[in-house]
Amino acid sequence: MIETRGLTRRFGERTVVDDVSFDVPAGMLTGFVGGNGAGKTTTMRMIMGLLGLSAGEVLWQGRPIAAADRRRFGYMPEERGLYPKQRILDQLVYLGELSGLPAARARASATESLERFGLADRSGDRVEKLSLGNQQRVQIIAALLNQPQALILDEPFSGLDPTAVDSMVDLLREETGRGVPVLFSSHQLDLVERLCDRLVVLRAGEVVAQGGVEELRARGPERLRVVTDRDAGWIRDIAGVHVLDVDGAEALVELADQDERAADAVRRAILTAGLDRGEVRELATVRTPLSEIYREVTA
Amino acid sequence: MNDQTETRAAERPWLLVARREVVTRLTDKSFLIGTLITLVLVVGFIGWTIWSEDRTERVTVAATAADAATAQLLEREVPEVDDGLEVELVEVASDAAGVAALEDEDADVLLRATDDGWTLVGRKEVPGDLTAAAESIIGDAALTANAERAGTSPAELRQGGAVDTVLLEGDAERQDFAQGMGFLLAFLFYFAALGFGYTLSGSVVEEKANRIVEIITTKIPVRQLLIGKIAGNTLLALGQTALIVAVGLVGISFTEYSSFLSGISAGIGWFAVFFLVGFLFVACWWAVAGALASRAEDLQTTAAPLTFVMMGVFFGAFLFEGTVQTVASYVPPFSIVLMPIRVLNGDAAVGEPVAAIAILLAAMAATVVLAERIYRRALLQTQGRVTLKQAWAAAD
Repeated sequence: MIETRGLTRRFGERTVVDDVSFDVPAGMLTGFVGGNGAGKTTTMRMIMGLLGLSAGEVLWQGRPIAAADRRRFGYMPEERGLYPKQRILDQLVYLGELSGLPAARARASATESLERFGLADRSGDRVEKLSLGNQQRVQIIAALLNQPQALILDEPFSGLDPTAVDSMVDLLREETGRGVPVLFSSHQLDLVERLCDRLVVLRAGEVVAQGGVEELRARGPERLRVVTDRDAGWIRDIAGVHVLDVDGAEALVELADQDERAADAVRRAILTAGLDRGEVRELATVRTPLSEIYREVTA
Repeated sequence: MNDQTETRAAERPWLLVARREVVTRLTDKSFLIGTLITLVLVVGFIGWTIWSEDRTERVTVAATAADAATAQLLEREVPEVDDGLEVELVEVASDAAGVAALEDEDADVLLRATDDGWTLVGRKEVPGDLTAAAESIIGDAALTANAERAGTSPAELRQGGAVDTVLLEGDAERQDFAQGMGFLLAFLFYFAALGFGYTLSGSVVEEKANRIVEIITTKIPVRQLLIGKIAGNTLLALGQTALIVAVGLVGISFTEYSSFLSGISAGIGWFAVFFLVGFLFVACWWAVAGALASRAEDLQTTAAPLTFVMMGVFFGAFLFEGTVQTVASYVPPFSIVLMPIRVLNGDAAVGEPVAAIAILLAAMAATVVLAERIYRRALLQTQGRVTLKQAWAAAD
């Protein structure tokens, strides 16, 4: 598990990352979201030891992280690119050797991964000859060469087509299956929602929400969708209901009180009132989309 | 998955970095072609020198029958005075016919008697070598004739008028040769420092612009990366320069200057030492220039001060004289070329290059420490150019 404790980074007068604490548990995909300039890249760079810390600490397996631990992390920087003019296999072997693999092992591992991604026949090509998606594949191969014990990926999905996204997802799932903690940043909230076990939301350098996706959803008021056979305007008269939208026979409401008992009472009141006026075709709890949670916490 | 080979750090990672720098360059066609062209130029220049040395110039001299005796004297004596020159005689009916022969390019020179001696008439020029030879031959002949008429001999007439030169150290030609070699070596350093320096800073910017430096520095310390890049490029610069110098020296051994080679071996040896330490010294700054830029286009600006310093070192090799030269030969980076030049010229005492190299080594050590700090701090700044001051003041 990776833990950050009170991570802070100042550039001169500006505090870019302010007292950031979160966990990246083993075997889980943790999504790191936040707007541009929220401090995601800076935080990741601090975890990787590329930037010094103004305050706070990074823990690996419960103790302060050391350079030797980081050497076995897989890292993919933002706006990635390898040496454009070097041949793909040579480059991967070089990076493998830098992380401490003997040359023969690095070569075997790189060749195997290239085969897996269907890039074996391109191994003698220069990186610049590859399409963007394939460059990204080589990049992730580079991050995985050394069987990393953790993965820190800055925007690994940007610029990938849907097929490439799927194969990247499979790959990351495989890594978490090995028990590897994975932290990745992304702007694509739908993807994060589909993919993540956990979520850390950053705004202006501060963590505004973190936890399991379901956990975060549960934090907000419960939403109900009510569908009747006639105009649903009557729902405005029911106490304890905050109406978000009424559209003909359909209504979207929020329960004002989060207390479970009170919520039950309101649900019953809606049902009774609806049945008094005709038929109630649907009364369902609505899953709040992540994008809305995100908007709420970063608002 | 936690077996030993995986958790161990790469041993001496700078060697891996240096190896990549060297292999990348050696498999780069433009680098190989550039080196080959340089070698061809060196071989060509030396070949031309040898060829022009062995070549005999043939000058056609026209003369009327009246002046034929002197012309024949030139024909006989000139090759003895100047072994690169031969005279062919063309007899003409009159001076006017001689001028016509010049205009028609049937003759190169017209020999004419005047009231008090002789005139060589040429079209646009009279070969300088012929003038000197003719002056000496005809002058001697006249002196002998005049002396006989006066009842004495040329030797008696010349008595007490001989001026000889004796040099305590070497001779003039040797000195010229040493000086020429010095400038050549200074040029080689300038050539290598600029060429390989730009390559080095270019490769630093490349890594920065591609963010691959972020991947590398999570695997190995920044210092190892810096040392590897400097070592690789120094090896390349040294190798290329050694190749050029070796080809040049072998070439020179086939020319008339071969006898001077033993005299400059100490100078060449010192040049190699200064080149090595000096290149390491400037390479640090080239790496910094690269780190201060974010894109290849910024490099011209961040490397400009260094380019000027390199030019200063180069011109210093020509322009500094006397005390200025002596003082500058201790001051890095001027000492890199000036001290070996002073050794070549025989101006430096034995201890002097040792002292200068000690100063250069100290400067280099200080530079590595400074450069590492600036390099490390500027390396992750990927927005625009970074000033030295910003990089120095930035936190890690």
